[in-house]
Amino acid sequence: MRDYIIRRLLLNIVVLWMVATMVFVALRVLPGNYAVAQFASANIGAISDETIKEAERELGLDKPVLQQYREFMTDLVQLDLGQSFRTKRSVWSEIGDAIPYSLELGLLVVLVGFSVAFPVGILSAIRQDQWPDYVLRGVAIGGLAAPVFWTASIAVFFVLAFDLFKIDVTGQPHIWEDPKGALQWYVIPMFAGGLASTANTMRLLRSQMLEVLREDFVRTARAKGLDERHVVLRHALRNALLPVLTVMGLTVATIVGSQIVLEQMFNVPGVGRLLFTSIVIRDYPLSQGLVLLTTFVIVMTNLAVDLLYGLLDPRVRFS
Amino acid sequence: MTESARLPVLDTGIRLRPTGWRSVRSGFVSFMLRKRLGALGLIIAIFFILLAVFATTLGRYDPDRIFQAPNPAYKSDPSISDLAKNQNVGSPDIVAQYESPNATHWFGTDKFGRDIYSRIVHGAGLSLTVGFGASIIAVAFGLLFGLPSGFYRGWLDLILQRFIDALQAFPALVLLLLLVQIAEPSVRNTVLALGIIGIPTTTRLTRSAVLGVGSRDYVAAARAAGATDVRIMVHHILPNIAAVLVISFSIGIGAYILFEATISFLGVGPSNVVSWGKMVQEGRAAIDIHPWLSVFAGLAIALLVVAFNFLGDALRDEFDPRLRGSR
Repeated sequence: MRDYIIRRLLLNIVVLWMVATMVFVALRVLPGNYAVAQFASANIGAISDETIKEAERELGLDKPVLQQYREFMTDLVQLDLGQSFRTKRSVWSEIGDAIPYSLELGLLVVLVGFSVAFPVGILSAIRQDQWPDYVLRGVAIGGLAAPVFWTASIAVFFVLAFDLFKIDVTGQPHIWEDPKGALQWYVIPMFAGGLASTANTMRLLRSQMLEVLREDFVRTARAKGLDERHVVLRHALRNALLPVLTVMGLTVATIVGSQIVLEQMFNVPGVGRLLFTSIVIRDYPLSQGLVLLTTFVIVMTNLAVDLLYGLLDPRVRFS
Repeated sequence: MTESARLPVLDTGIRLRPTGWRSVRSGFVSFMLRKRLGALGLIIAIFFILLAVFATTLGRYDPDRIFQAPNPAYKSDPSISDLAKNQNVGSPDIVAQYESPNATHWFGTDKFGRDIYSRIVHGAGLSLTVGFGASIIAVAFGLLFGLPSGFYRGWLDLILQRFIDALQAFPALVLLLLLVQIAEPSVRNTVLALGIIGIPTTTRLTRSAVLGVGSRDYVAAARAAGATDVRIMVHHILPNIAAVLVISFSIGIGAYILFEATISFLGVGPSNVVSWGKMVQEGRAAIDIHPWLSVFAGLAIALLVVAFNFLGDALRDEFDPRLRGSR
């Protein structure tokens, strides 16, 4: 077990190193850089090459790429992500400011996603091929196909058209500071994101439940007179949940993706929006730091899921 | 007794199966009958393909044509104060912006007075090009990497799989955002970028299919008969993993269409073309008074993606039940 964890951690480090290198390369093959982009958008007219050179020197972009890579790696080993080109603040403090917002929204999305996926998945399985099954699966497939930005847009339309509540995207309160304001701000993205992330979990849970409900131990449980509720929730669900766990990593990756869109739409100053802006304006250190952060979260989720799997299912042995 | 004299008819259960083109046709008909949702998906997909191919006819208008409408506030001889309130008051016709669906404009008009129906019809081409193009690239490269990787295993497999691990650790949208910025945002480059983000998945699928087939007896037999590695891969393994390729091809399309819509919505999609994702974004500015642009563009995306999901699921159930639930 300990060897297994150590080996997986080492493997994760290799993956993170490869990701870091790929981001580094990808950012530098992008045409133009932060200095050029800044002057182009400032629109001051003709810029002398001298001015651009000066700005590049300031940002360390004049150094040979290999040297930049070496410095990036030495800093990375010491967990130093450098400082943002735009704000000149350290990438860590940028991340520190953004993470609470993304965690808030992300957790709300997960909450909505699971609280829809679980009852729907179970109901759809025990009512297989009856109308609740068809209706619920239809909704799930719709959730998988409808773009998250569209469901959110339509929700905004209904809220505005029927004047349900005020959508304020400028206040940006945290949920612990102003619960009501924060919820009004988050409610649309959280349901749009939740619906989008629920479909996969729900479909997997349904197919697993269908399989487990045909197992001998379920028949035994029914035969000894347990009520159906007990059989479904205690006996079947527990066993059907394991494979659902394994797609958690995938679910997290989906949520990170929809987070970029939703944060951009609703002006949430979280990791997703920061990542999008930093790539667009070519803020190398910030992009690198944020991509590494999201990748780290995803590979660690995968590791945690695998370990949890072993704890929950005694048949699994680590080797 | 005539009863006993009659020869007993034995039903041996042997049926002559149609071969060649007839077998394909009867297989297709039975697929359409058994997989109703898959059939529905296929019909919707064909409908959109026809829309895209005959867009100039079916679209009714040029998608960029700006329509004019009589100005309700028109005054032939406006005073200065009228002009100060509404500077268009002197012109008899104004841009027909934000019209609701009507007989002339089935889906209404957008902010610039363009016909939404026409733009939806013309947008189908981009979504389909992107979906099919990216899926072809992803499957082709998945085959190129996955086939040798699963066939030779060993160090090649190890290195390739770590590389795939790293690619898969990226959230797909992040990788896509990086890729679409490398080159100018043309349709071709978008298709390429989308294809690249699909390669890890198709490589994985191809590899595991090859691993399953590679240990079969007929592969060993071919090897014993002196077939070269390339011949075994092309003539013996490839035909037997064709189903997996078809499935991953059809399942991918919906996802690529959705990704294209997303990056277009974010404003980094292909430029100078009509894109449904971009239309949803444009419609957001006035969503409270005129939701039609966003509504119809989004519905088109969802419908096309649902169609390919239905089709992909049906093909998966049909050809390879083991893959069920793997996505």
